Amino acid sequence: MASLGELERAVMDRLWSAGGSVSAGDLRDGLADRGLALTTVHTVLTRLEQKGFVVHDDARPRRFRPRATREEHAAELMHEVLGQAGDRQAVLARFVGGVDAEEARLLRELLAGGPPA
Amino acid sequence: MLPATAAALAVLAALLAWPVPALLARARWPRRDPLVALVCWQAIGLAGGLSMIGALLVHGLAPWGHSLPEAAWSVLTGDAAEDPVRGDHWVTLTLAGVLAVELVGVLVLSWVRTARTRRRHRELLEVVVRPAAVPDARLLEHPAPVAFCIPGARPLLVLSSGIVAELDEAQLAAVVAHERAHLREHHHLYLLPFVAWEAALPVLPAAARAHAAVRTLVEMRADDVALRSLDGAAPRRTLAQAIVAAAGGGGGAEVPSGALAVAGGAVRARVVRLLEPPSPLPGWARWLALLAAGLLLLAPTALLLLPVL
Repeated sequence: MASLGELERAVMDRLWSAGGSVSAGDLRDGLADRGLALTTVHTVLTRLEQKGFVVHDDARPRRFRPRATREEHAAELMHEVLGQAGDRQAVLARFVGGVDAEEARLLRELLAGGPPA
Repeated sequence: MLPATAAALAVLAALLAWPVPALLARARWPRRDPLVALVCWQAIGLAGGLSMIGALLVHGLAPWGHSLPEAAWSVLTGDAAEDPVRGDHWVTLTLAGVLAVELVGVLVLSWVRTARTRRRHRELLEVVVRPAAVPDARLLEHPAPVAFCIPGARPLLVLSSGIVAELDEAQLAAVVAHERAHLREHHHLYLLPFVAWEAALPVLPAAARAHAAVRTLVEMRADDVALRSLDGAAPRRTLAQAIVAAAGGGGGAEVPSGALAVAGGAVRARVVRLLEPPSPLPGWARWLALLAAGLLLLAPTALLLLPVL
């Protein structure tokens, strides 16, 4: 049994590649190799809707489409995850933060064996 | 009556609140052995809190007995005080209580809030990321060169497509080794008390200083651990190149630059340390520092538990 997180990713992959709105039934058929029940697909879609990844038209409540592209979501998440909260509270460990242009130049000089700052 | 003990604890608390953290933050040796320095910082934090609360408690409980355990026991069993209880005893007791509740409360609150944020971020990220070429790592489609990990029971190591494109294979391996070191050694736990106490004691400049120092040391420690697992001709240089590329390419408005960038010099210190490695701390110096950390913890504990001086 795949985890919900993995199912969510599979459903989003489908929705993103579909390029329009898709019904839960179509999604189930598209993921036929997983043998999902329609209720499971609905559960996953509801969770995705709560997380802000999926929307449905009021006129066609059974059809779902992605709220934004994968790239837009990635950009939003990057901002949220690396933003103030993540950093100050040690929510995550970032390899290295960004530095301003002047500092970046100094760093490149150091690497090139230039005069130590 | 416990005047000498209370005074000794108060002096210790004052030393640990300002001069000792200031000295350690300015010292040159921590970059030679970040792990030992991290142990010292933890000892300073713990001993500082203990002596601050202890001094207040010992003074406040003085009328009830000759040592803290004895006095605490008389209070708990409802015995009458041996000496008259004055206003200042009540004031220090109240302060001790408030301080203890605040320090512990903020720590717990910070833990809970951090865990919740981590879970939310992980749940959102899991929808968008794809498996990366590196085992256990996930790829996030974004042009900025970024790598990070979210610690926890199910850690998540994320590489942006930007960093994968920018770095060569060896450099990328260095980045991943660095992040794995954070996860394996649970560095977020070293940071937690300092994050919490900076929030709890904003008036104490040492709290901010300690937090910044611990943050830098944790990064240096992860660099050291990463180097051990890297092969190749010049792993130090490879890791330094990765740091410079990720720090320089992440500027601009694309992604938030992070708190470390504000400190600025911290990144440079890491790069300098990789390119011109300081000689490791000699064995005796390591043991001396660890001994000092041990004594630092022992002093307030002994003052609190032993009968009056």
